[in-house]
Amino acid sequence: MKQIFPYKIILFLLIIIGTWSCERDDICAESTSTTPHLIIRFYDINNQTTLKNARNLTVTGEGATEDILYNKTVDSIVLPLKFDSENTTNTTRFVLEKNTDYRLDTNPLTNSNVDIIEVKYTPQFVFVSRACGYKAIFTDLQISRDADDDNWIINTEVINPTIENENAAHINIYH
Amino acid sequence: MKTQHTSIFIISLMVLMLLPKTSFSQKDTEKKADTLIVKQKYGLRLGGDLSKLVRSFIDDNYTGFEINADYRLTKRLYLAGELGTEERTLSNDYLNSTTKGSYFKAGVDFNLYKNWLSMENLIYSGFRVGASTFNQTLNSYTVYNSDQYWESPYTSTDSQKFNGLTALWAELILGVKAEVLTNLFVGANVQFKSMINQTQPANFENLYIPGFNRTFDSGRFGIGFGYNVSYLIPIYKKDKKIAVDE
Repeated sequence: MKQIFPYKIILFLLIIIGTWSCERDDICAESTSTTPHLIIRFYDINNQTTLKNARNLTVTGEGATEDILYNKTVDSIVLPLKFDSENTTNTTRFVLEKNTDYRLDTNPLTNSNVDIIEVKYTPQFVFVSRACGYKAIFTDLQISRDADDDNWIINTEVINPTIENENAAHINIYH
Repeated sequence: MKTQHTSIFIISLMVLMLLPKTSFSQKDTEKKADTLIVKQKYGLRLGGDLSKLVRSFIDDNYTGFEINADYRLTKRLYLAGELGTEERTLSNDYLNSTTKGSYFKAGVDFNLYKNWLSMENLIYSGFRVGASTFNQTLNSYTVYNSDQYWESPYTSTDSQKFNGLTALWAELILGVKAEVLTNLFVGANVQFKSMINQTQPANFENLYIPGFNRTFDSGRFGIGFGYNVSYLIPIYKKDKKIAVDE
């Protein structure tokens, strides 16, 4: 009669330990709220509580090559903000072109109307989780529109100076 | 008359002689267990965690060292503790941080294994309370932005150090220790941990805690493991009676 120390149990434990060391990769879930976008809604200048579509709008970030939005009639836009430092004022300029189709067509009498808006804000970096790291939030939001001969944007208003989430609009544009 | 007395005497003598005999035979039928006495070693077992040492050499992002000890109190109960230090760098696409600190764990181990004769192997379950003091350095981070419209996301490389962090947790241990040479033991164990209390850095999180191992976003639970080599310093021996059935 010889008793054998249960090496099977030891082996089992070693296997458990071995497999556990292969930790699952932490992936930032898409549902996690990270760096928010700037949300702008378009309202009627004559009836300031009514949304008004911006006709065939094309939106481009100034200095960027790609369009954010191309030739679409919308009553709101979602814009990515650029940032390169924390706790200082950062600026992003967006080119908003209304009636894009008038530029694209062959009629020389009609043309689109391009207005440029300048958005200023102060980014702050907030810890989210080990997988997502930090997100940016933006405070002290300001907006101005470059004046030209024919502005389609008549007035702008910051209604939510802190961009923390994408639940509601931050800026109203009246046209 | 005389012969009658003589015969009574003889008969009673015979009866007297028979009586103890019957009682003797009764005693013999009583089953008496045969016992074997084995000397068991009691003492202080000192050791170190081999896995932490090996990992320190092969993993650039890890440096760790642990010494452990247990003291046998009774046949199955051991007083046990660990003392260690760890430095761990964690990095992914968005974060790079280093945790550095030391820890202490104290508790008991209970041997669940019934050894054969003089063997002193263990399959044990243990309980510990662990405490750690550490610091965390956020070496760099890249702000997470799901929108890649503006190229090159912002990365901060100003390292921020968070000092004076502490953590307190409880652990359940499951492990084995086998005597491979006289008084020399090797063992492996898994530790299931549950955080009791921790100080979190401002606008950051304890991603790794010395002694606790990495933390999880999902909750306060953690897991760790160890491979130990230890040496038993016998202090005294105690008899262990083993009943042997026929």
